[in-house]
Amino acid sequence: MQLFLEQLVNGIALGSLYGLFGIGFGLVFATLGILNTAHGAYASWAAIIGYFAVVWYDVSFPVAIAVGVIGGGVLAILVDQIGFQPLRNRKTGMLGALITSIAFLIILDSLAGMATNHQSWAFPSRTYPRGMLDLGFMRIPYMQLIIIGAMVFCAAGIYLLIQKTRIGAAMRAVGWNAEAASLGGVNARMVILLTAFLAGATSGLAGVLGGAATSNISYMLGEGLLLKGFAAVVVGGYDDVRGTVLAGILLGICEVFIAQYLSTTFRDGFTYILLLTFLVMRPRGIFGSGNFMRA
Amino acid sequence: MEAILDFWAAYSATIAFGLVNSFIALSCYAVLSAGVLSFTTVMFAAVGGFVAAQMIGMFALPPLVAFLFAGVAGGVAAAVIAVIFLRLETHWMALASLALVLITRVVVLNTPTLTGGVQGMLVPVRVSVLELFLALAVTAFVFYRMHNSWYGLVSRAVREDPSVASTMGISTYRVQFIAFLISGAVGGIGGAALATTLQFISADTYFLALAFTMIASTVLGGSFHWFGPIVGAFVFTALPTTMQAVLPEIQDVAKGVVLLVIMILLPRGLVDPRVLKLRLSRSPKTAEQPDA
Repeated sequence: MQLFLEQLVNGIALGSLYGLFGIGFGLVFATLGILNTAHGAYASWAAIIGYFAVVWYDVSFPVAIAVGVIGGGVLAILVDQIGFQPLRNRKTGMLGALITSIAFLIILDSLAGMATNHQSWAFPSRTYPRGMLDLGFMRIPYMQLIIIGAMVFCAAGIYLLIQKTRIGAAMRAVGWNAEAASLGGVNARMVILLTAFLAGATSGLAGVLGGAATSNISYMLGEGLLLKGFAAVVVGGYDDVRGTVLAGILLGICEVFIAQYLSTTFRDGFTYILLLTFLVMRPRGIFGSGNFMRA
Repeated sequence: MEAILDFWAAYSATIAFGLVNSFIALSCYAVLSAGVLSFTTVMFAAVGGFVAAQMIGMFALPPLVAFLFAGVAGGVAAAVIAVIFLRLETHWMALASLALVLITRVVVLNTPTLTGGVQGMLVPVRVSVLELFLALAVTAFVFYRMHNSWYGLVSRAVREDPSVASTMGISTYRVQFIAFLISGAVGGIGGAALATTLQFISADTYFLALAFTMIASTVLGGSFHWFGPIVGAFVFTALPTTMQAVLPEIQDVAKGVVLLVIMILLPRGLVDPRVLKLRLSRSPKTAEQPDA
């Protein structure tokens, strides 16, 4: 029973990382219409920046997280302004931005490979909380609590931002039809910058926390998150934060339990079988609703 | 003469891969030209590649015959996928097709009797550059004929505006289904070409790197004319080689930067029929007429 509970928490923590990462990916896809393959690179770079902050300037862990999150957000804005902004007025649809995002994926990944010497690093063990919370019947690592807490905080914050505030209404309006939103007085540029920053920041947060929890900071970090976060977005529905989070947690729990009780070889297979099932049975995701837009 | 031989020795591999990538890019173009952004080509290529590898392994077929079987197998796979995917809305189809690439890898890894599983498969035959060139020439001829046919016209209409196209009595579903079949057949041939050029295929041969190469080649070259993907495939394949000669330390970064710059300056790609048409209309004969 103790093992079951501990693995359950493991799964929720792992899934929280997927969900946290997926929120930004889905947000950019729904609001800006960009299939951003470079989204994983933000996570890698945030973890690398956080690592350098810790090793060079000896900052505390919360500061390292903040540096990574801001770094991820700024990087996302840079990528958006250099790679996506010039294409916005030219009506290239999803294609042009997809290609520039692939270009940035190539650039950022190979730069990250150089920055880390193609090795895998870990935060020095004294710099992040390694202890366990002892509940008597089970013990939970502090890192997992931090990850779950961060995910709940970000998901709730972004959900409320999108659904309950004027800025959120503007974001939804731009996602629905950018031109009509501009005509209606929405400052599209502000929405674009904010969306890019939020996406980069949440991806960066997932990167720093994931890098610390798994002791693996490398240029490959983002790719792993991208594949699973992407699955969470598809299963959960890209236009709903709740769906992404729920699907992420579901994927995390399934992965951990399958590795624990069945076999590690089925671990990845199951994720994608789930993905395929959802695509065929419920193509709009868990919370997906009908689409009223005509072709 | 010696210069030509030197050039051949240095670049024949690049040319072979340029030809192979042309097939893959044409397969992507086939669906793109009917208004479908899809990464499913990677799956069709995997089907074609492993079918060709098995055929060559079992019956010692010559590569070009194996290409035919690979094309048929890719087409069959495309028919199945098209039935599922054409129910989805555009954005979802793009996501779903990317998911299919991830699923393909898992399937390949877990069916060792068909694909060699984790070990991958050796392909005992190597296709020559001449054979690749011939196969591509035939494929390009088919695309050329299609471009000027009923199908070419309606697929352009469906791409520009599906609602208008269906108002004009064009069945969007039918056109996109045909597009998938063509994509599947060409993708299967491309996969077989890749298998017989690399002579070793595994789950990672047909994965995200191929998906990104494919879509980047297609859009880089220009997705509005069949010649674009071929140009794009050669440019994208030659980029790393060229960059290695110029900037060996940061060749990957340079490749990304070149891709970025071309896309920002020429978002419609290197081969753009619209630009050509504009240029022709500005020729001296018509220069005095006011712009329409």
